[in-house]
Amino acid sequence: MQRLHARYPFLEAARETVATEAVDLATVVEREEAVVDRATQRVITALEDGDTGEPHRDHRVELLSYPVARVLVSMVGENVLVRKYARAEAATAYDRFIEDIEDTTELKSVETAGLDLEALFAEFDLREAIHGPVDGEYRIDVGTYLPLAADLWDDEWRLVNQPLERGEVPVDEGELLALLREGIRERIEDGLPFDVPETIAADLEAEAAEIREVLADLDLTREIDTVVPDLFPPCMKALLDQIQKGEHLPHHSRFAITAFLASIGMTTDEIVDLYRVNSSFGEEMTRYQTDHIRGDTSPTEYSPPSCATMQSYGDCVNKDDLCERIPHPMAYYEERIDDAEDEELEDWREGEADEAESAGD
Amino acid sequence: MEERTRAYLRGRFRDHYRRTEITPPPAANEREWGFIPWTDSPGTTMVRHRSLLELGDLSEFLVRKRPRHVYFSAGRFRDPGASSMGEKDWQSADLVFDLDADHLPGVTLGEDTYAEMLATCKDALFRLLDFLENDFAFEDVEVVFSGGRGYHVHIRDENVRHLEREHRREIVDYVRGIGLDFDELIETETVAGLGRRTPTERRHLRIDGGWGKRIHEQFMAFVDELLDLENEAALERLQAFDGIGEGKAEATLNAARNNREELEAGNVTVHTAVAQLAERFASRAVERDNAPIDEPVTTDTNRLIRLPGSLHGGSGLETLRLDRDEIDDFEPLSDAVPETFRGQEIAVDVTDGGEVELGGDIFTVSEGDQSLPEYVGVFLMARGRAEKEKE
Repeated sequence: MQRLHARYPFLEAARETVATEAVDLATVVEREEAVVDRATQRVITALEDGDTGEPHRDHRVELLSYPVARVLVSMVGENVLVRKYARAEAATAYDRFIEDIEDTTELKSVETAGLDLEALFAEFDLREAIHGPVDGEYRIDVGTYLPLAADLWDDEWRLVNQPLERGEVPVDEGELLALLREGIRERIEDGLPFDVPETIAADLEAEAAEIREVLADLDLTREIDTVVPDLFPPCMKALLDQIQKGEHLPHHSRFAITAFLASIGMTTDEIVDLYRVNSSFGEEMTRYQTDHIRGDTSPTEYSPPSCATMQSYGDCVNKDDLCERIPHPMAYYEERIDDAEDEELEDWREGEADEAESAGD
Repeated sequence: MEERTRAYLRGRFRDHYRRTEITPPPAANEREWGFIPWTDSPGTTMVRHRSLLELGDLSEFLVRKRPRHVYFSAGRFRDPGASSMGEKDWQSADLVFDLDADHLPGVTLGEDTYAEMLATCKDALFRLLDFLENDFAFEDVEVVFSGGRGYHVHIRDENVRHLEREHRREIVDYVRGIGLDFDELIETETVAGLGRRTPTERRHLRIDGGWGKRIHEQFMAFVDELLDLENEAALERLQAFDGIGEGKAEATLNAARNNREELEAGNVTVHTAVAQLAERFASRAVERDNAPIDEPVTTDTNRLIRLPGSLHGGSGLETLRLDRDEIDDFEPLSDAVPETFRGQEIAVDVTDGGEVELGGDIFTVSEGDQSLPEYVGVFLMARGRAEKEKE
């Protein structure tokens, strides 16, 4: 049991194990260095690598490190950390249950310590909402599908593109697993950040500071607030160019460029203006998406995709030398801005303002 | 509106509420209530954030307040009477759709009559119901004539009441066909193939539901039309499409003649020209089948909606719940005329005359003092086109 709970610490049963072991979190934090170390590593690896890192060989330490990691995330309290942490926990859980499901199939054994689909359905109260499989296809109730698919930005997840019939959306096993990953992410994000009691916080100050430092180094929250399209990374230049030509971009590409522009400090109005070169750019859609990305109309604030994600969507084009050295389009832009002499930088918005003034004369 | 007119309408609305039994929506005490009183101020003031507890018995409240308009919330709350949305503590919300003749394509404002606009609106209602009953298979569906310019549909199925704004937007986009991407409806299957050295891909349009099914229906109807035509006429039909020249037209016609079964099954890889042509039917399907609902009403989980059974203060018509099998024969401009206003004439001074279609008749109303059937008088007064005259 302990192994299962250590692998999947977000399970209800795992939470109960933590509670019934009569573990007092304050005592753990005070006395068990191994747990605190693993918890810190969990959060830092989440930030740096997008997963939760090597599990501790002692199941008990591994299991207890999860609630402590949540405490650390809450102490730092940044939205971007909550989001990245939850995504990393969910990604790790996803990899593990894919492993478990393959194991179960191969060994044809019910005695594994792994998790199977049935258990996941039960855990997330989905048994009633998921039907099948018939010929490898599951059917999921639309009222359950919509919240699970809400943060999957790719067009293929949109309801309008689903063969919805009798209130059910058909999904194959891969899609079902991706939806379950979303369910896990949501559960992990749920309730974060929470208020941490003083007694516990006092013992974790050093670890929280370390996480803050890593977060600052990643520069995810820094505002650049300079808009010089000439210095944009090639991928973003290409996307902006297509929008301005009035080409129809897939959702993920639109998301990428819009998130990028929002991250360099552009307002929704400015983004709309920049796109407006062509009349068919879809102002309403742009506004909705930008507000959503910015977190005005959604609980989360989105950051632009990394180079790896851009590559996997086929949006990484015209790579240059600088691209080889950076992991993220934001890093590319920052470096170009840093390299340029200040007087050389003409902010696009200042040009616009001039134009507007002369137009007003 | 003059005080005499207002007093008259207030009084007659009270008479209506005295003799009418109103069935409140389910969970009425978990909802926010609001109403607009008859006032002389030019702007309308909505009294809202009321719970049923504060209003008291609904029928008694309507008789006492005889409001001009009365609404209840789609949302259900732990404390519906709290003054801010945060304090109300949202629990769930009915999924509501609004079809408003003002926003419908196919309606020309200022040209179409009220009856024509409502007829266009009813067509749109049937398209909406096709989505709600078949694609979504909702079971708790309540259709309401708004008493004004259109129809409301309230969905109260347990499994959608928890949906938040962004999830409801997906439903809006679905029934409006927004963001439909033909490529995403195509399923690619790798076929290992007997006797084939390399596996090939088979591309199929998903025709088992959703927009794929609608596109396919239109496409097949077109294919069958082609098959009925003489060779030359069929080729001409095909070449009328942008990007389809002689070669592609011939390939498509051949596919239609020799491979109709494959096309029927959704196979669009018969020929590239076929796939290209099928894609054209995506926008046609949206144009023909989409339900042009008013988006903000559906996505707003706190929205106030007009109470069925109440009177619409801008028309004097009754907001009516309709049984599913009543909709076909429903004539809003006669069936929604309240009994209370039938059977007697009243004196009014008409300031803005013209044709009025109401109660199964068409009245050509001149301007000035006259006696009219009460429901016509009430309609004109509610619309600000007449004032009450002394009897």
